[in-house]
Amino acid sequence: MSTPAGADYPHGMRVTFQEELDRLEANLQEESELVLRSLRGAINALEQQDTELADEVIAFDDEVDARYLDISQGIEQLLARQTPVAIDLRLVLAVLHINLGLERMADLCVTIAKLTKLTARLEPDEELVEAFEEMGSRGEEMLRVAMTSFADRDLTGAESLVDLDELIDRANRRVVKHVLELGNDPALREWGLRMIVVSRCLERVGDHAVDIGEQTAYLVTGEFREFTDASHPEDS
Amino acid sequence: MVIPISVTMADVSVNIAEQRRELPAKEFREVVFDVRDLGVAYSGNQALEGVSLEIYRNFVTAFIGPSGCGKSTFIRCFNRMNDLIPGAVVEGTILYHGEDLYGGPVDPVEVRKRIGMVFQKPNPFPKSIYDNVAFGPRVLGMTDGLDERVEKALHQAALWDEVKDRLKAGALSLSGGQQQRLCIARCLAVEPEVILMDEPASALDPIATTRIEDLMHGLKEEYTIVVVTHNMQQAARVADMTAFFSVTRGDEGQRTGILVEYDATSKIFTQPSDKRTEDYVTGRFG
Repeated sequence: MSTPAGADYPHGMRVTFQEELDRLEANLQEESELVLRSLRGAINALEQQDTELADEVIAFDDEVDARYLDISQGIEQLLARQTPVAIDLRLVLAVLHINLGLERMADLCVTIAKLTKLTARLEPDEELVEAFEEMGSRGEEMLRVAMTSFADRDLTGAESLVDLDELIDRANRRVVKHVLELGNDPALREWGLRMIVVSRCLERVGDHAVDIGEQTAYLVTGEFREFTDASHPEDS
Repeated sequence: MVIPISVTMADVSVNIAEQRRELPAKEFREVVFDVRDLGVAYSGNQALEGVSLEIYRNFVTAFIGPSGCGKSTFIRCFNRMNDLIPGAVVEGTILYHGEDLYGGPVDPVEVRKRIGMVFQKPNPFPKSIYDNVAFGPRVLGMTDGLDERVEKALHQAALWDEVKDRLKAGALSLSGGQQQRLCIARCLAVEPEVILMDEPASALDPIATTRIEDLMHGLKEEYTIVVVTHNMQQAARVADMTAFFSVTRGDEGQRTGILVEYDATSKIFTQPSDKRTEDYVTGRFG
């Protein structure tokens, strides 16, 4: 019985490199926690028409941006100094993409917070507010599923994001339909128009979570593929 | 003028394919060497066993793997260099354009004319630059137009501009990187089809190494290149196909080289199929 020659070599080679990869991934997970806080804050501010909380969400974006920059620089250093290949390269590339997605999610939360401030003087429509609570909760769930699947290298979990995204998409369509039926009250219509943008932001949060799932699939399988293809929906 | 979107997208697709350095599909590749179940033993010790792969025309093919994995042993099979080692036995077959390289009527000297070799350490003869390059053609009686032949080989080896005014100077007066390019020119002067390179840049500084790598990119237009390298990034940079060799250890500790994985270099360095390849290219062992 022969044994692989790898057994001759000490375990734990490239220790520093592995530590840097681990640190990068931990940093990314922490960034996603910040985005979750931002998302929850944005939804609460919207529901409660709380402009102070909306201001906090806007200011909090600096935290996410700082983390984004930190991770970007970490990736730059790793690529320049460690020349990762194979699964290490896929991990670094996946972190690069996910980092960008998370930063954009936080930007969407800022947009929601700004719209909350703009519409603070207008009377909200209760049904729509409830719809946003639902969309926000689904967005949070999707981000959690996306980041857990990434951490666990869980392809099935990552692929489940497509079904979750469909629920947000449906809610988005319902919001648009509802806004169109709001009637002729100019204040309500103004509020409704702004809320279509909020709805779109939450829908985009779901899309970014699906993108994270696609990066997990790439990391695990080595093949990049879009879970759903907007330009060829019949093939998806 | 409006450019039809279909045209511009087609151009984009071509550019992307070029950037990815995509290889021609297998049915469009010409097989130069077809290696089947090759094994090499030195005085009864199995150095390499069970290697099967194809080497394609106008490709750069790299062999990588840890020390003792048999990659140098393997590359020496292609021009029958192992014949020169007492006790060496080669099993299996290597077909060179369909002809058994180790078949009875094959002349090893003819083989080495068509399949040249460059070694780790530059090994110019203690003669002039000109005589080094002219050596092979003179031995083989290819003396018509010798000056042109020497100049062409030096051009191909990207050395001409540096030595054209001192062709009669001693080859040993050149720098290490120049000496290695001189050895490549010496190899090219007899118009081989294949160039085997055994660690051609490992004794050179980074600038000289880059020149050799650039040279390999240019030479593959006309030649088929097989290179053994310890430097994985070099394989990633220059090779179209990469073979990863490893070592198995028998019950009594004897080490035998095996081929673990052979695929497009882009695949080997992004998504290798075998865990052992991944462990090696990511530096987790070896």
